[in-house]
Amino acid sequence: MGKVNVDATTIATVWHGMQTICKEMRYIVDRTAQNYLIAQLHDVSVGIWGADGSTIAVPVGLPVQFLGTQFAVQDLIKKFGDDIKPGDLFLTNDPYHGGHNCHLPDWGFFRPIFYEDELLFFTLCRAHQQDTGGAFPGGYFPDGYDIHAEGICIPPVKVHEEGVEQTSILELIWNNVRWPEGTKIDNYAMIGATKMSEKRIIGLLDRYGKDTVMSCVDEMLKRTERAVRKEIRKIPDGTYHGAAATDDDGSVLDVPVWVRVAVTVKGEKMTLDFDGSDPQQKGFINSVYATTYANAIAAVVLCLDPALADYHNQGTMEPITVRTPEESVVNCVYPATTGASPVNVGVQVMEAVLEACSKARPDRSVASWGKHRGDYVFAVDPRTGERYVRTSFDYDGGAGAVWGYDGYQGVSCLTAMGAVNRGDVEEMEARLPWHLIKYEMVTDFTGNGRWRGGPGVHWEALNEGTDGQVSTGSSDGDEVMGFGAVGGGASPQSRTYLVRNGEKIRLKPHRRVVIKNGDIMLKHSSGGGGVGDPAKRDPHMVQEDVENELVSIKEAKSVYKVAINPNTLEVDMAKTKKLRANIRKKNKTKKRSAA
Amino acid sequence: MESAKKRVCLDVGGTFTDCLVMDASGDLTSFKSATTPNDPSDGLLDTLKKAAANFQQDIKDFMGDVELLVHGTTLATNTLITGKGAKTAMITTEGFRDILEIRRGIKPLDISLFNLFIPPNRPLIPRSRRIGVEERTLFTGEISVPLNENEVAKIVTRFKKSGIEAIAVCFLHSYANGTNERRAADICKEVAPDIYVTTSHETIQVWREFERFNTTAVGAYVGPAVARYLVGLEARLKDSGFEGTLLMMLANGLVQRVDQCVNRGVHLLNSGPAAAPAGAAYLGGLLGKKDLVAVDMGGTSFEVCMIHNGEIMTTTESWVGDQRIAIKMIDLETAGAGGGSVASIDSLGLLKVGPESAAADPGPACYGKGKIPTVTDADLVLGYIPDDYFLGGEMKLDVDHANNSMKSISKKMGVDKIKTAQAIFDSINTTMADEITAISTKRGHDIREFVLVAGGGGGPIHAGFLADYLDIPTVIIPPVAALFSAFGMFAMDLGQDFARSYIARIESANIRDIANLYKEMESEAFETFAVHGVSKKDITLQRTADMRYIGQFMEVETELQNGTLTKKILHAGAEAFSKKHEALYTFSMPWKGVEILTLRLKASADKAPFHLPKIKRGKANPSAALKRKRMAWFQGKRLKTPVYDGALVRAGNKIPGPAIIEESTTTVVIPESYTCRVDGHKNYILTRN
Repeated sequence: MGKVNVDATTIATVWHGMQTICKEMRYIVDRTAQNYLIAQLHDVSVGIWGADGSTIAVPVGLPVQFLGTQFAVQDLIKKFGDDIKPGDLFLTNDPYHGGHNCHLPDWGFFRPIFYEDELLFFTLCRAHQQDTGGAFPGGYFPDGYDIHAEGICIPPVKVHEEGVEQTSILELIWNNVRWPEGTKIDNYAMIGATKMSEKRIIGLLDRYGKDTVMSCVDEMLKRTERAVRKEIRKIPDGTYHGAAATDDDGSVLDVPVWVRVAVTVKGEKMTLDFDGSDPQQKGFINSVYATTYANAIAAVVLCLDPALADYHNQGTMEPITVRTPEESVVNCVYPATTGASPVNVGVQVMEAVLEACSKARPDRSVASWGKHRGDYVFAVDPRTGERYVRTSFDYDGGAGAVWGYDGYQGVSCLTAMGAVNRGDVEEMEARLPWHLIKYEMVTDFTGNGRWRGGPGVHWEALNEGTDGQVSTGSSDGDEVMGFGAVGGGASPQSRTYLVRNGEKIRLKPHRRVVIKNGDIMLKHSSGGGGVGDPAKRDPHMVQEDVENELVSIKEAKSVYKVAINPNTLEVDMAKTKKLRANIRKKNKTKKRSAA
Repeated sequence: MESAKKRVCLDVGGTFTDCLVMDASGDLTSFKSATTPNDPSDGLLDTLKKAAANFQQDIKDFMGDVELLVHGTTLATNTLITGKGAKTAMITTEGFRDILEIRRGIKPLDISLFNLFIPPNRPLIPRSRRIGVEERTLFTGEISVPLNENEVAKIVTRFKKSGIEAIAVCFLHSYANGTNERRAADICKEVAPDIYVTTSHETIQVWREFERFNTTAVGAYVGPAVARYLVGLEARLKDSGFEGTLLMMLANGLVQRVDQCVNRGVHLLNSGPAAAPAGAAYLGGLLGKKDLVAVDMGGTSFEVCMIHNGEIMTTTESWVGDQRIAIKMIDLETAGAGGGSVASIDSLGLLKVGPESAAADPGPACYGKGKIPTVTDADLVLGYIPDDYFLGGEMKLDVDHANNSMKSISKKMGVDKIKTAQAIFDSINTTMADEITAISTKRGHDIREFVLVAGGGGGPIHAGFLADYLDIPTVIIPPVAALFSAFGMFAMDLGQDFARSYIARIESANIRDIANLYKEMESEAFETFAVHGVSKKDITLQRTADMRYIGQFMEVETELQNGTLTKKILHAGAEAFSKKHEALYTFSMPWKGVEILTLRLKASADKAPFHLPKIKRGKANPSAALKRKRMAWFQGKRLKTPVYDGALVRAGNKIPGPAIIEESTTTVVIPESYTCRVDGHKNYILTRN
């Protein structure tokens, strides 16, 4: 490759061009897919990688779906070598066999991009399919025997050869999922996105010339790497610890499974060592290395200077090493089940790293988010007589606080980092035999702090469809609470119930049970963790929360040490001062006695 | 005095109030005044007084001659963006008071996935003022829980006491049956007649509650300010002798009588910019071109929209600031790119231009107050704009200040001031070009087949370079480019959009039900137009239906044939949908069934005939208009560039690039790769060599 000197303007332009291409890829999927998760909720990731697998553009997506994709591209090249040709298209969903994927429902289409007969890039569109075969619909059910029980495993295979669709291969695949016709639509939507990406990247190469574009990419990666190294150097050298657990693995019930990490910073390098994490489990919470890697990198990125947020690429990853013990819950081997791993233990990987990083850089603290409260319901819609799967992020809580801001409302699931959206009540009621009873934020149901978590959510709906099954799949957080940072409160415990004939039946995470017509499903999903001492929260912010019924007068006093007049809802400043002075006194005595 | 009749278009922007007057001879005269943010009607009347003086009339005589006044205003948009709307409350279905706040988990669209350090969402209506009441309507339209009227009355009484100025009534599934919303609104009016009340089904009768509720909340939030302004303006215009028709420019690119707008504030968002595409379509028509991309580059922002096959693109998926608006609006993409866009070096050492703007205060460095380099400073340093003829010489620009401002970043970039200015210039052009590419790809078009129509104060300076970058062969720059939106208002159709949710598969759709819904919308349209004095035969109706393949989530608006609806017409619509799908998204699925989600009707009446004034013909050689020569930079070369006087050019003049034409309100820059031809209406038509 010819090296040319490129100026800063061209670099920025090429860079911006590639980011725009990714956004347009998702737009095409949005507009044309039929799967609720993909089209409406954005359970989809797109990006651009180099011919050597280096991560170039990843502006829209979920970390688990694309921050570890360099390993898949590298293995694709190893497996197919010279047999990669223009117009080829690869499909894989396999966590093993060179797929490096998080779990089976996330299918990824890889398209190599050639220019003047030279392989320069890969583009990927990965999205969560409505179904991927296996013992139960939806792919999020516990206690499968092995990975094959979870669905069809597609190793990297060519589904287009030099522009020609390999229909028989696709038909074999589609025949192994429920709702093959819907899946076909979604696959075409995804393939359309990769086609558009190819067209636009070639346009970029035509305009600037290959050497310029490649030099710009090279320079972008270098600049990002330099900036990230500088950021790491700002963290005091040392080792910082974090740990988090999921309630259980779905097979051995009520026994928490732990992820532990030691983050060691030395100069401009950072090592995340997950030694001490629990061994690989029978249940479906095992994470392959690429998934752990993706979540760990994402967590570190959140604690770096937000001014770098638009620039992350391979350069970000170079100074960071992720070590995982073999055959552990953070580096499982075939044929371990992985169904829930994007969420559990994916969330725990991020939480552990965030907890450690928040100790290293309190001013960049990020508290844990409300845990995912997801489920899969499979039954029949009596209006059409058709089978359906219902799932979404509607019933999740909110984000955790960060240093300086309360947690964002309504964004769900830490490992999705707000990339996924919620649905509309009206759309759900029109599409599915479920009637919403209540969907609102809840008082006193989030991690407290100088900055509190986004509020928790109450979600309640009546099953007007047939009897069926519900899998609480990747729900979590009934027992183990998410951490608060720098003295902030933890994200409270969440609960799910089935209300049958007026009786409340507790439904724990990672379970699969029968659901009946007329059952009410009731979910209390907590908000995120807090950051900082709640007694240091601005009293006027507490007052606003009381006005908005997000914090009760009682908790304002007991937790935030703010006295609110119940008649006027004004802050009683004199009383508040007193309340807060008392704690300072107590703290002083505590410190003294500790000394 | 029939012969003295005038038509006036007024666009009140953030900084300037633009006014174009067309007199009986068809001549356009332009006027500009500063906008008066406290009461924009002050600035508006100032501008009209300026115009009257120019016609040597007193304001009463002048206004008495005006038969039609079309008005675009940034009032609704500004009220929303600056957070100065009414103290608003919401009455909603019990158990669902947080739809606005949870807002489907959407973070601000321009914030990176990897940045969590942002303030939480602050809804226009805080939680303490969003109150649920007992009521429930189902998606079938059936009312499963009747409205608890006592509860509503109590809530409104409380709102009244706490000084609420506007109420949004937002119930689930009201698009299917608006009874409960209507009743609640009536109670609001009974209990508190002074409070502004809107309902969600009257704002937009389409499903998906977050989108509908948020649009309604925005309408309630800007509504009182809009209503106050419009009522006040009407009175002031009447006092000044105006007896003609006052039409407001709406978000959807159509105009509407003012009395129809008083209670529909949300439709006045983007009023102003929404007029630009109509102007572009008109100019394209002069050249027989129907595929156009209209750009408007002002001081702080850049707006772009597409016109395909003569049709101005609209969308129901807009965001204005951080607010989702679901009414049909002109499909405008906006970028923070304008003359005031500020240049800086970012965290990776890369040049960043915009979206921050130096705005009017301190303004670009060359205005004399600021020190930070802006796009206008780069334009000046590169020699494109004159220091002595800015706004026709009203304002002197300071070249030294502009040069000095470059130094603040040229050191970090390690280049001289000229290269810095060039980098700023190129950088803002690529930002605008990417915006154009993004909107055209979204729409499935190849931008090279389009004609670029450039407006705004900065458009004529940058358009040639944008076209060069995007391989666009033809650029049209009208002489009134700087008052582009006001100009567009001359070209506007009178009209309104109507919509009804109707969810069914094509195969099982009930033809009679659909026909009835269209009929319902059509009679509504006829009624509305009757108020305007437009008779049925002058109304153009266009039926469309939002369709998608069964199972998809997003629809494509597809035209349906007018007249008696038949199965055949519906099927033809479904086929047209498949074709559109293929064009937009690279594939179609004819094997898959199609369903309808929303029926739409656009009713419009043609504008009165309108002509641009003609200029005298001259020779191809433009030397008679040569004003001077100035050093300017083209592609890194310093060239002695001919500068022409816009007042002296003649139809038929051919001006090869590089060249500059100075108009009193803007400067046209012709790059080396283009030649400019002046047409009979003094449009500058740049063609690639």
